Amino acid sequence: MNRRRLILSAAGAGLAVSGVAGTTRGLAALTATDDELAYANFGLATEFLLRDFYTQAAAAKLVGGSAARNLARGRFNAAEHAAALGTLLTGAGQTAAVEEDFTFVWPDGTFAKADAAATIGLTITQALLGTYLSAVGSISIASYRTLFASMAANLAQQVGALSELAGGRVVGISFPAAVDVQTASDAVASYLG
Amino acid sequence: MRRIVSVLGSATVVVALALPAPAGAHTKANPLTIYAAASLTQAFSAYDPAQHYSFAGSNALETQIRNGAPADIFASAAPLNADRLYAAGLVDRPVTFTANRLALIVPKSNPAGITSVYDLKTKKVKLVIANAAVPVGGYTRTVLKKMALGSVLSSVVSQESDVRAVTAKVALGQADAGFVYVTDARAVSDQVTVIPIPAWAQPRVRYEIAVVSKSGNKAAAQTWIKGILSAKGQAALKNAGFLPLPKASS
Repeated sequence: MNRRRLILSAAGAGLAVSGVAGTTRGLAALTATDDELAYANFGLATEFLLRDFYTQAAAAKLVGGSAARNLARGRFNAAEHAAALGTLLTGAGQTAAVEEDFTFVWPDGTFAKADAAATIGLTITQALLGTYLSAVGSISIASYRTLFASMAANLAQQVGALSELAGGRVVGISFPAAVDVQTASDAVASYLG
Repeated sequence: MRRIVSVLGSATVVVALALPAPAGAHTKANPLTIYAAASLTQAFSAYDPAQHYSFAGSNALETQIRNGAPADIFASAAPLNADRLYAAGLVDRPVTFTANRLALIVPKSNPAGITSVYDLKTKKVKLVIANAAVPVGGYTRTVLKKMALGSVLSSVVSQESDVRAVTAKVALGQADAGFVYVTDARAVSDQVTVIPIPAWAQPRVRYEIAVVSKSGNKAAAQTWIKGILSAKGQAALKNAGFLPLPKASS
């Protein structure tokens, strides 16, 4: 499988939307910069973190019904995002991190109450959402942009679900802020280990 | 300061101490010759001072073994060095025995006012790193690439042959910052401030160890490697700040 196909499959796996996958044509001649790949490196590690968050939250049986289904779906989404970003990085010639590279750190009591867990989940999902929005605004490669935009849309849904679990609104602010990798990295550093 | 110079000097350091060996009485009379990455200096010397050590950059030790140096064991800070020797039939199959992380260190006085790795991009800094051939030099470049900080390589004033030399230059205030292993930073914690590198930007730092094929003491060498892989050996490495065996390797 050549590099173009690898990245196309990454986008395809993450998006599962034929119309979006079609926008990745012409990728082969483009080379990602380190700035562009930094979004993917940060995103990959943080998606692993988010997947672990959902796993722990579900195991703690904090909620039932639709809220529990949202946690399970969020875990699935994080795994798919991580797979897409890992394939993107590999296709770009980098060594992609694997989940075993990280030791996640959850403060005592994180999964003792639903609202406390949701607050930490919000920190992670908002950091990812902000980073992906920043990526959309700065990445020059159309297929990468599309992938990050698609993941941002999904993250916004996760933010809504977690916000409700934390006692807030499902639909929040009109313009979520784009944040740089450094700011987002600082926000989740204590959980990433 | 003299201690730093003697312990962290850039030249290969040969340590042969006559203290009792925890690894077994057989080592007293006929010590093993262990070629080990410079970053293992404190950890191995503390774990088993009865052996005869040669600490240096893994690439330099690899070259010496290729040239027929009389080593019994090779412990490398990167899989590449041990794997190349294995492919050449010069060592037995290597095993992963520990892991490490990178950190940025600055002198306690912190003349450049660095509080984050990202400051390297925006502040005028005299940066010291290891050269690309030595594992920590390669890992440093991986960190910079992952964080999109490749431009800070223009701030490099010196490229050293092993991690101890990088550590010494920063500890002695001859540079504003340097990339080292967290274990080396620990050894000079009274002289430097450690600035963490985010987990997502960390390279996969894995150490491998193998018996040298031409060793005349292979049984003892294999026993020593079993020892470092044992709970006792792993505890000694953990005490020195190394990470547990990676999940995928354990």
